[in-house]
Amino acid sequence: METADASVVARERVRELVDVPLTREDRAILFRYMTMMRASEERALTLYKQGKVPGSFYDGRGQEAVSVGAAFVLRPEDRMCILHRDLGAHFVRGVTPDRYLAGYMGRSGGVTGGKEGNMHFGDRMLGCVGMVSMLPDMALVATGMALKFKMRHEPRVAMTFFGEGSTANGQWHEAMNLAGIHRLPVVFILENNRFAYSTPNELEFAVDPVERAHTYGFPGVNVDGNDVEEVFEAAREAADLARAGGGPTLIECQTMRMHGHGAHDDMRYVPKELRDEWERRDPIDRYAERLVADFGFRADEVEAIRNEVQAYVDECAKKALESPMPDPALATDGVYADEFEPLGDGNAPWSRWSQHNGAGNGTAPVERRAA
Amino acid sequence: MSSSPTEQATTAVDVVMPQMGVSVAEGTIVEWRKRPGDWIEADEPVCDVTTDKIDVEIPAPASGRMQEILVEPGTTVAVGTPLARIDAEAKPGEAHPDEHAANGGQPAAEAPPPRTEAAPPQAEQAPAPNGEEDRSRFYSPVVRRIADKHGVDLEQVKGTGIGGRVRKKDVLAYIEGQEGAPEGRPEPLLHIESPYRPDEADAPQPSEAGTEAAPAAPAGAPPPGVGELVGPTRREPMSVMRQAIARHMTGSRRTAAHCTTIVEADFARVAARRGELRDAMKRRGVSLTYLAFVARATVEALQEHPRLNASVDGDELVYHDDVNLGIAVALDDGLIVPVIRRAQRLSLEGMAAAISDVAERARAGKLDPDEVHGGTFTITNPGQFGAVLATPIINQPQVAILDLEAIVKRPVVVEGEDGDSIAIHPMTYLCMSWDHRALDGADAARFLAKVKARLETWEVSR
Amino acid sequence: MSAVEATGTAAAELASAPSGTREMTYLEAISDALRTEMRRDESVFCIGEDIGAFGGAFKVTDGFVEEFGADRCLDAPLAENAIIGTAVGAAVEGLKPVCEMQFADFISCGFDQLVNVAAKLHYRQGIAVPMVVRLPSGGGFSGGPFHSQNPEAWFVQAPGLKVVAPATASDAKGLLVSAIRDPNPVCYLEHKGLYRHIKDEVPEGEHAVPIGEARIARAGEEMTVVAYGSSVHLALRAGEELDEDIEVLDLRTLAPLDRQSILTSARKTGKVLVAHEATRSAGIGAEVAALVTEEAFEELDAPVRRLTAPDVPIPFSPPLEQSVLPQLDDMKEACRELLAY
Repeated sequence: METADASVVARERVRELVDVPLTREDRAILFRYMTMMRASEERALTLYKQGKVPGSFYDGRGQEAVSVGAAFVLRPEDRMCILHRDLGAHFVRGVTPDRYLAGYMGRSGGVTGGKEGNMHFGDRMLGCVGMVSMLPDMALVATGMALKFKMRHEPRVAMTFFGEGSTANGQWHEAMNLAGIHRLPVVFILENNRFAYSTPNELEFAVDPVERAHTYGFPGVNVDGNDVEEVFEAAREAADLARAGGGPTLIECQTMRMHGHGAHDDMRYVPKELRDEWERRDPIDRYAERLVADFGFRADEVEAIRNEVQAYVDECAKKALESPMPDPALATDGVYADEFEPLGDGNAPWSRWSQHNGAGNGTAPVERRAA
Repeated sequence: MSSSPTEQATTAVDVVMPQMGVSVAEGTIVEWRKRPGDWIEADEPVCDVTTDKIDVEIPAPASGRMQEILVEPGTTVAVGTPLARIDAEAKPGEAHPDEHAANGGQPAAEAPPPRTEAAPPQAEQAPAPNGEEDRSRFYSPVVRRIADKHGVDLEQVKGTGIGGRVRKKDVLAYIEGQEGAPEGRPEPLLHIESPYRPDEADAPQPSEAGTEAAPAAPAGAPPPGVGELVGPTRREPMSVMRQAIARHMTGSRRTAAHCTTIVEADFARVAARRGELRDAMKRRGVSLTYLAFVARATVEALQEHPRLNASVDGDELVYHDDVNLGIAVALDDGLIVPVIRRAQRLSLEGMAAAISDVAERARAGKLDPDEVHGGTFTITNPGQFGAVLATPIINQPQVAILDLEAIVKRPVVVEGEDGDSIAIHPMTYLCMSWDHRALDGADAARFLAKVKARLETWEVSR
Repeated sequence: MSAVEATGTAAAELASAPSGTREMTYLEAISDALRTEMRRDESVFCIGEDIGAFGGAFKVTDGFVEEFGADRCLDAPLAENAIIGTAVGAAVEGLKPVCEMQFADFISCGFDQLVNVAAKLHYRQGIAVPMVVRLPSGGGFSGGPFHSQNPEAWFVQAPGLKVVAPATASDAKGLLVSAIRDPNPVCYLEHKGLYRHIKDEVPEGEHAVPIGEARIARAGEEMTVVAYGSSVHLALRAGEELDEDIEVLDLRTLAPLDRQSILTSARKTGKVLVAHEATRSAGIGAEVAALVTEEAFEELDAPVRRLTAPDVPIPFSPPLEQSVLPQLDDMKEACRELLAY
């Protein structure tokens, strides 16, 4: 299929979204997290341009629906490997924007205390293993976590994100293959954002990756990555299937990276018409419209959420700027672990989980949906 | 590779335990399919063997008749062990009379391969003469550290390492040996220049400031009384300088236990090098003399033999970090010894320039008073007048003085690849008088040997 | 040959109530370590190629499927990055995977996961990765360039990994047990040539040898051979056959290096030869030589020397291979030279 044409994408698979199990509150939360991701990344970019961010700057502008929608599905004891365009997933699990911003600026208040930069972080206390630069290495790590879940017969899911460029790499195939052989509870989220740095889809693969899933023995699902509820639904089905022992799913989310690969990239290789087309499909603006049109929100309610988020992010930025730079003496710390500590559980704001356990710590039994 | 029993003049071929797999070390015979006397075709299975990985048949390595079984079934042996012998020259149809007595198995005792013997071990003490590098003065870090800590003069220590190197155990043994000796005096050396008589050592008077040393005629026994001279005489008052020299020389002779050691030095290379460098230096206003070469070699040698750069003060030897080199300059009626301070820093050219400079100013009477103080070693060079040997008097409070005599072309023996031959080289004698209170003959000789070696191996461009 | 116990260094061995010893080969000791730990701790499991039904290329896991089930002795597809990467994921979740690379040489196919993911997770994110990668290494049997390597130096160069290399059967068991219990990723170099050629009395039951401690295999005064793996045995034989007062220090752990034991021995004898079968340049020998020269210069009576393979891929044909891998005669000659210096 021609992946560059957005209208084709929209026609490909129109999901009838009925009975999506989201409450009004859930929808507000979804909107809030997408807005938080957008606002935080805009603020970070400003800080970068102000010279307060060392190294490189990456964001996922235009892809907010993917990370927020997918992460929303998870229970506290589920695990994630999050990539550089998925800030929303970190927020859903409980990382606050001030820690994100401090991390970009290399401050002690960042999630890794300065050891790592930009999006190479993950809060282990919230059940996240952060990324490495080599892609898609984390797909194998997620596969490994899923192996453990299966060996222990735990109804838990490992979710891993990667771009379409990663599907060219041997390790992606090794992960897909192993997950398929053993029917591991992995949810593979593939963000096809049209370009891997400057490389368009047609130079990255000969066959659309979603078509390849069945060759590894499990389903591939193609969704509109700029529709947060469509992403959510696909992820929900995949997670339920995995928990029930049904094995992995590959979800290819069609979306578009609205900024360059990094702030240093001016995207000259992107045709203007393409940008404009996807600009019209901005996930946040679309969802704002839907909230009002389909879900009974008032316009000023939606506006209030935007404003509250902006104010919150501004406050977080202030806090981040107050965080000190790390002590150089710590540079040689932590090469080795003295003892093993298990990963912690993340937040699970979806109402379905809070119905069963107010604390969101995954101790209650899971209600299985029919396969 | 050592020869295996199968490679011999006889015709027996061994069946060996194979290595069936990378980590297998041994195998066990299960059963033999051939008995002694049986005919065997090459590649035919002769026995069954089991290892902890697999069971396998062993094919015969050659055709012939089974001669002898060496390992019985049930026995476990290491990989490579001979299991049986096959007579590979037997013909089918011939009976093999007595397989057990067949002696094909004993390899002929091999003559050890002829080997050239290593050169006979070098004499323990002296530096090796025959081409082995002299390492007797190379001191490793631990040897230096131990020597420093115990105040050991490493030149006293016999080295048993390669090239005569002093090893850690040598210096430790030396120290242990010393602990027995009275008051930690060094071992008496085999060669002593002159008898040491402790009673003779009067408390040395510090020499008067500014006095000079002269390589003049040796002072000997007190002269006969003047009144006994025969014939008409003329009297002349001695100049101030003359009187000072007289005082200094006699004082020096009374203070120090004078000995003189002489080495002969071949100046062929120095002459060649001087030829190479002279013109360029002249253009820079520097006159390159043989004395400059000797001075440079001396300074280098002093750094390795610091005792010759010392002074005696009562019961102590005072070592000087710097070499302040006195150069004796002949004047109309006397001599003066200006001092080149910290001469160890100077290159050959620097040395030549410094010598010219002080000599010129000395003759012109333009030396500073400070410039005649503080010398630690003196060199004198009266050889321009043709004398070949001398026994100079030490310039107090130094412990040695080196005299460069005339450089004379002589026929010398030169050792070459095809034997010895005669060549004509510029030769000279380096005469050094030294104070037996501070040194012994061996010290003096070693020092001079170093100076000589430096001069004789001076690098020359090719 | 029997193992000489460590002297002088701090920690006693972690053995708790061993029930006696049994003679085992080096390979049997490795199996025994795995079995003991897998019985003691359910979270320990093995993953590698052909380790299940086939029992492993070298039969280390022979019988494991029968005892522990196919889940805990998992046959992996031909995918080293997958083996290692999956192990990382399982380890961060609390399992204790022991990966087997069929030959150490194939670690290059899993290098990325080992060096970039496993090694750095704790430093970057405080996440401990308690896993072991077993690496059958070493040559001497015409394995050729891809079945004979000793790649330990690559991993000593990757901060965050621990690297161990036992020489005796007793240490083969003890170090593997410690590696399994360590909360860090550990590369375990098992020398194939020692598998069946080395036997020891090995303690039964629980037996752990601390990581990071060298062992004096033979005490001496005149010179020290610092060695690990197969070279330890060469050094011991050389010492006996030369009948010289040679001290042999078996490093056992390469990262973190037991610097103190190396320096103590170097200061005692003043003469150090570092020996390993791995290639020369930038190998462990270079690291030990630099350490000794930096910290014990004033105690040295001779330059620090190395006996290693030259910088060549390991060739196949026996005369070529034997000329490349250090032999007993090479060891004896190197010792003689250093003693005479």
